[in-house]
Amino acid sequence: MRISRFAAATATIAASALVLSACAAPQSEVVEGSSITVAWNQPFYSYNSNTSFGNATANANIVYMTNAGFNYYNNEPALVRDESFGTYELVSEDPLTVQYTVNESTQWSDGVAVDAADMLLAWAANSGVLNTPDFDPGEFTDPETGEFTDEYPTDVVYFDGAIGSGLELVSQTPEFDGKTLTLTYDEFFVDWELVFGVGLPAHIVAEKALGIDDPAEAKQALIDAIVENDQEALAAISSFWNSGFNFTEMPEDTDLVVGSGPYTITDFVADQYITMSANPNYRGDNLPNIEEVTVRFIPDPLAAVQALANGEVDIISPQATADVADALAALDNVTVLGGEEAVYEHIDLTFENSKNGTFDNALVREAFLKTIPRQQIVDTLIKPLNPEAQVRNSQLFLPGAPGYDETVANNGMDAFTEVDIEGAKALLAEAGVTAPNVCILYASNNPRRVNEFALIQASATEAGFVIEDCGSPEWGGLLGTPGAYDAVFFGWQSTSLGVTNSSPTFKTGGINNLNYYSNPEVDALLDELDVTLDPERQIEIQIEVDKLLMDDFYGLTIFQFPGVTAFSDRVTNVDPGPLSPTIFWNVWDWEPTEAN
Amino acid sequence: MAAFVIRRLIASVFVLLAATFLMYNLVAFSGDPLEDLRASNAPNKEQLIESRIALLRLDVIPPLRYFLWLGGLFQGDFGVTVQGRSVNALLEQALGSTLQLVTIATVVAIILGLTVGITTALRQYSGYDYTVTFISFLFFSLPIFWVAVLLKQFVAIGFNDFLEDDPQLPALLIAALALVSGLLWASIIPGSMRRKIITFAIAAGAAASMLVIMNLVDWFTYPGLTIGGVAIIALGSAIGFTALITGLKNRRALNAALVVAGLGLALYFPFQFGISYSITEWWMLAALAIATVGVSLGIGWFMGGVDKGPVMRVAAFTGFFTAGAIALDRFMMVWDDYASSGRIRGRPIATIGSSTPNLEGSLWVQGVDIYTHLLLPTIALILISFATYTRYSRASLLEVLNQDYIRTARAKGLAERTVVVRHAFRNALIPIATIVAFDIGGIVGGAVITETVFGWTGMGQLFQNGLNAVDPNPVMAFFLVVGGLAILFNLVADLVYASLDPRIRVN
Repeated sequence: MRISRFAAATATIAASALVLSACAAPQSEVVEGSSITVAWNQPFYSYNSNTSFGNATANANIVYMTNAGFNYYNNEPALVRDESFGTYELVSEDPLTVQYTVNESTQWSDGVAVDAADMLLAWAANSGVLNTPDFDPGEFTDPETGEFTDEYPTDVVYFDGAIGSGLELVSQTPEFDGKTLTLTYDEFFVDWELVFGVGLPAHIVAEKALGIDDPAEAKQALIDAIVENDQEALAAISSFWNSGFNFTEMPEDTDLVVGSGPYTITDFVADQYITMSANPNYRGDNLPNIEEVTVRFIPDPLAAVQALANGEVDIISPQATADVADALAALDNVTVLGGEEAVYEHIDLTFENSKNGTFDNALVREAFLKTIPRQQIVDTLIKPLNPEAQVRNSQLFLPGAPGYDETVANNGMDAFTEVDIEGAKALLAEAGVTAPNVCILYASNNPRRVNEFALIQASATEAGFVIEDCGSPEWGGLLGTPGAYDAVFFGWQSTSLGVTNSSPTFKTGGINNLNYYSNPEVDALLDELDVTLDPERQIEIQIEVDKLLMDDFYGLTIFQFPGVTAFSDRVTNVDPGPLSPTIFWNVWDWEPTEAN
Repeated sequence: MAAFVIRRLIASVFVLLAATFLMYNLVAFSGDPLEDLRASNAPNKEQLIESRIALLRLDVIPPLRYFLWLGGLFQGDFGVTVQGRSVNALLEQALGSTLQLVTIATVVAIILGLTVGITTALRQYSGYDYTVTFISFLFFSLPIFWVAVLLKQFVAIGFNDFLEDDPQLPALLIAALALVSGLLWASIIPGSMRRKIITFAIAAGAAASMLVIMNLVDWFTYPGLTIGGVAIIALGSAIGFTALITGLKNRRALNAALVVAGLGLALYFPFQFGISYSITEWWMLAALAIATVGVSLGIGWFMGGVDKGPVMRVAAFTGFFTAGAIALDRFMMVWDDYASSGRIRGRPIATIGSSTPNLEGSLWVQGVDIYTHLLLPTIALILISFATYTRYSRASLLEVLNQDYIRTARAKGLAERTVVVRHAFRNALIPIATIVAFDIGGIVGGAVITETVFGWTGMGQLFQNGLNAVDPNPVMAFFLVVGGLAILFNLVADLVYASLDPRIRVN
């Protein structure tokens, strides 16, 4: 009885509930929007890519899209000036004086003008001139976290900028006025064009570091601190500049994502993605066509390919492997661009301090180079990934860069494209050497290099060389070790087209001169190159150096690392270049298609 | 007892310390942390190399550097990565994301594995048993990276293709699925040949008609249970749980379960079109679930008569499943909105990551988004551990069923349900508890490959990236967490074993 009464009560509740439900019709519960999504293999983690902490491609890409500058690299690659941001001119060569002027309309995404204060901060940070001398931040860095400890002195100035790149040669505080800043170099520096740009917004840095609310006041405070070398203020500014812009998810304080570029960061989820939307306050010429660009962090190359196939991402640029190439070839509605990266493989012969002394004799060097199957290496290992791959024929020029074709016609490296076993045997006979030992160092944990070694070994053995396998997983640490090897092959990464990059590698005693090469003629030419401003003359000198290197049988370059970019039919005008920021260099040219 | 725990813990700490020393040195000696900088010709290369050496203390040889790391560890500090990022922060993020990934998979695998294992044991040497044995060994031997890629290709890309243009199941597939369903039920339900044929016909017919109806109502575009589906689930769970827990003869339990199911159904419309719109946070949904169970327990208590316990349990399970069905239906209602949104563009099943970038919407939309992202990795993880659980639970239950006390229980006239559920099942759980405890300890570190393939930045990525960069700090963080959990759950397993089995004493 009790049960049935209870059930009746329940039924009553049920009936009244049915009546209640008459209201509220269903409505759409999704908030709409549209975007282009790009896959990148590493998460973004710092908005200041000039510090040693933030110096990574994953950061540089985002900073590039969210900040405009005086110049950038296009896909040729060549340095392009962006005069809609600002202009610069060489005022005098002796002393080297450069004047930078930001356009009247150029402003930050919060509406504050970009001006001399910002440039002054960039100089202070990346020259390190204002840093307290002999201050070792290591003493106050917690070795476990990398952050500064509580004992960190408050009156010490330490900017952890791109010091050593060349800007440290501007040791006097630059002259500035309104939107103009003039840098005067103490010594001549040929790559001056590459070392200076407007970095982080000065008003934000000063506001946060000094606790000021007004942007104009903050800028003035920053200018005063730098001009008067106010240690206390600079200490706070440098500390904030070093670490204030490191974040791994969307910061609550959106002042930290203020930028001057076509896009601005609007959303950032840790380890997942970062979203940039068109910056309404951007006044330059590089106006974007796509409202919103999202970069998703996908470390696994094949996962990126499948995400592209599933429409989750629209543009990918994974590490090129045979698997990735096969997987991409099977996709419909996807454009695949083969391409080249800025890393190139090369084999160097050791001139002194080698293991066996084999290559002390130029004839033996020539004979050995004749046996290196460069074409075969490219055909078997690189062509499957980049069908247009070619043998690289220059130590100094990036293929496609101005001067490359001239140097190839001149330096004679292309004569070594195919192997010449007979020629090598004849040269060995002429040198009077039989069965010379060659110990080759390479990365034995890298399958591609193991294959390269096998090809080289087979070919050189035919000519009578005795090849020792000196491959090691720790090849990097062995580079330049006296008596460790006779020849080495590995990759050099070009980070810019700057001509000062050659000196460390080819000059006697240079930091990257790992094979103890020394040629006074080359040294003299490189000395001249480091003080030559005329681009034509720069190319001439580099062509000469390239020829001298070949005449000395320095070694051979083999190939440019293959890159691959693929994009869906939702976007067009994607056209990657070899130098950072690779696929992103023309983000403003990307256009949505009808499928978007 | 306490002495045993302390002794075990102290011994474990020393084992872990020795292991970390070995691991640290193995990682540190595995390559050159400066390799990428040596191959660079950046103008400030020297400064970059110096700063990395200072940052990671590379000037100290690894065996000694280990002690620097250990010193930091005692202050709760895992150090920094090659890039100078704090490992503590990375670990926190990684652990959170891995737990999100593996928790559901583990729970589902345990429940599914135990259920299937037990049913196969009860139907030993039936067609069903052989099929499950075959399938579980098949899954057991599949490499997960391969399964994951196949899942992406067929369950994500292939299924999305299917969804994109007018999704209708082909007739052949319907026939095949009906056949499978018929065979499955016929082999599970015992009886004479004639009865088996009837079972087959009913099961196959039910499956076929359900699939045809799904086609007719465009179910794959507008999925839903509707009140009919919810009613079937509610009544089914009311009868099922009663039969399982108390037996259908217990009228009080059956009535309570039916009342709970009826109340749930009554709340269907007000919830779907009213209450659910005001649920905007996950805790609200959780609170609602707890309230449902509470109310159900209350009804069970009220209607339970003299033996309230089992009735309350029946009511609670029924309430939970009914409410679950209603919530599931609510999620399905936003499916079409979700799938056709500009972010998804008709391809809902995701292959990477844990959420769709920039998708904004109600809690229900977010829930569907989580589902589409967790689906594939969860299946991949389940397939592997499912096999182990079915095997162990089947073997364990069979062993118990052959014990003398089971014969005694049967001899004294107990119902088969009581014999299986109360006497056999409980005892069969003892060895399984150990395995489950081990597995829970291992899941955090066991998803390395799954994470990589599905683009989750979890513990696996922390480990792998650290190893690739010859960077001991993140690897050690991974190792400590995984090793610590393994030790902890080993201990828990021992304790659970002792408390379940009165014959065992820990001391």
